[in-house]
Amino acid sequence: MTQAADVIDEARIAGRSASAAGGRGELVLKSSEFRKGREEGWRELEKLVGRVERRGVRSLTLDELQQLPVLYRAALSSLSVARTIALDRNLLLYLENLALRAYLAVYGPRIAAIEGLRAFFVHDLPTAVRAARWHILIVTIALLLGVAAGFILTVQDEAWMTAFVPTELAGGRGPSVSAADLRSKELFAPWPGAAEAFGIFANVLFSHNTLVGLLAFGLGLAAGIPTLLLTAYQGLTLGAFLALHYDRGLTVDFLGWISIHGTSEIGALILLSAGGLVIADKILFPGRYSRVENLALHGRQAAIMGVGGVLMLFVAGVLEGGFRQLVQSTPLRFAIGISIGALWLLYYSRCGRREQK
Amino acid sequence: MMSAQDTPRGPPPLPSALQERASQLFGDLRRQRREIITPEGVPVTVEIADYGERLVAFSIDFAIWTLLTLLVYLPIFLVIGRIGGSLIAISIALFIGFVVRNLYFIYFELAWQGSTPGKRVIGLRVIDRRGGPLLPSAVIARNLTREVEMFIPLGVLLEGGRSVGGAVDWSQLSTAVWLLFFAALPAINRDRMRGGDLIAGTMVIALPRRALSSDLVERAMQFTFTPQQLQAYGAFELQVLEELLRRPPSAETARVLDEVCDKICNKIGWTAPLPRQEVTAFLRDFYTAERAFLEREQLFGKAKADKYAQPAAPP
Repeated sequence: MTQAADVIDEARIAGRSASAAGGRGELVLKSSEFRKGREEGWRELEKLVGRVERRGVRSLTLDELQQLPVLYRAALSSLSVARTIALDRNLLLYLENLALRAYLAVYGPRIAAIEGLRAFFVHDLPTAVRAARWHILIVTIALLLGVAAGFILTVQDEAWMTAFVPTELAGGRGPSVSAADLRSKELFAPWPGAAEAFGIFANVLFSHNTLVGLLAFGLGLAAGIPTLLLTAYQGLTLGAFLALHYDRGLTVDFLGWISIHGTSEIGALILLSAGGLVIADKILFPGRYSRVENLALHGRQAAIMGVGGVLMLFVAGVLEGGFRQLVQSTPLRFAIGISIGALWLLYYSRCGRREQK
Repeated sequence: MMSAQDTPRGPPPLPSALQERASQLFGDLRRQRREIITPEGVPVTVEIADYGERLVAFSIDFAIWTLLTLLVYLPIFLVIGRIGGSLIAISIALFIGFVVRNLYFIYFELAWQGSTPGKRVIGLRVIDRRGGPLLPSAVIARNLTREVEMFIPLGVLLEGGRSVGGAVDWSQLSTAVWLLFFAALPAINRDRMRGGDLIAGTMVIALPRRALSSDLVERAMQFTFTPQQLQAYGAFELQVLEELLRRPPSAETARVLDEVCDKICNKIGWTAPLPRQEVTAFLRDFYTAERAFLEREQLFGKAKADKYAQPAAPP
């Protein structure tokens, strides 16, 4: 409303000199009168914007800070008027550029970097995850189906193990392995020391599992079916390992061993896959936008979930490298694993809820 | 908040279409351009950053954060280098690299209004694609997506390169394809968005600074022109003339102006003798009169795009 009034006002001012134009010898152009009346304001704005660009908004005094949006709106309305009355190319390009720079200065990020990070973790991340609860549920079901199928098949015939698990991932844990070997070399292997632990950590970060998680996320672009297949396949692997230990009477120890980092790692996988499903959702059901537009509009939610997934992978890496072999008792492992899982659950389901209301 | 998608798109307003043509002629706006709509409802044109510009900006940032990582890493290396082997050294380097580069990009894009040191040198800015404010979540999302696009696959590729050899490794191959795809993505979409921009709803624009030159309009005119003479040209020719008059004086400029002056005289039937030293004065007067004429016609709804356009018939 005020915008329209401004423009009309500008046009009226500009029109004042209209009658003078067209005379012989002494020409008065509306556009140059218009420019004369406003140039000072533009120069002032240019100075303020230049300072904001170089040294940030904090470099402005209180007065200048109050002036900035006023001058910005004046420049915008000048631009609108100039577009209709002026044919001065230099002026039009200048005003367009000034308006854009001022717009970026006025609507730039207002939050300090630390505050922004805090807001992201306290509010944006848990909210995005909560908004995708149905996607998370679907992914979890796919994963559980995979686990069940892998377990049932491998319990019947351990040869399935070699089909489900690539040799380099199995690390010698095939059908021929004995219970004693599993105990001493895997479940209760001694802590290898700080250096090795860090190596394991890095390996987790740049390993198969991370790649699978990211692939599940990225394959959301392919309508989500590959995401679900990949998730179910990860479940198959897990189920196969579970069956291997079950056959040797090590179920509880295995679950304890895997829970310590698994609650984070499997959580990460679920989050990344659910993020992939969110992408697929936006592409498959674009509503009133085109598919790419809809992805750009709502893709942020998926990206935030991806960030959450990568963070959980980080935590999983620290736990796997640092704690898994340091803690040698199964009940203690369960305690750590379950409490960390509960913390994740609490964080994602509760955090930032109050600020929303 | 208004967005580009919500507003109906009519034909572009006359001045911007004109600028486009004049720009093509002079080649000063070579970048792709898009319109965003400010929350006040005024469309503003932005210039989308080139692939090359972004690559250079990224290379500068890359050099800076590699240096920073080394600075952080060196003391740790001096302590640990004696104890551990090469694996742990690489792991720590990767870890510090991860933390430093993400904090670096996120910090600067939030604190410096959407630009990093590299982007600032080149004159680039990150903005919201729909014209809204640049949110912290968008900045964090677009930067952490870079990990997914580039660094983690790169890590996998390098890691795998050491352990596997010989036969075709499908995971290696798919990782390489993944990397290539995301590297090519900004080149194949029209807003030059990389994966992170696509997902965070941002785009990177070039933000040159334009100066306001003095007005070319002459107050006291030596020459007068009739409306019939002024009807010979349209707005496009006027802006080309403006551009020529704004050129810094030189022998070349003088030659071009002489040539243009002759053509104009021919076109409008100017028969009075014109001494060489008065060419510039004549052209400036003609510019002033032509602009006054065309601007008035435009206000009356009879805008004339160029000399070929027919003046609208009076109702």
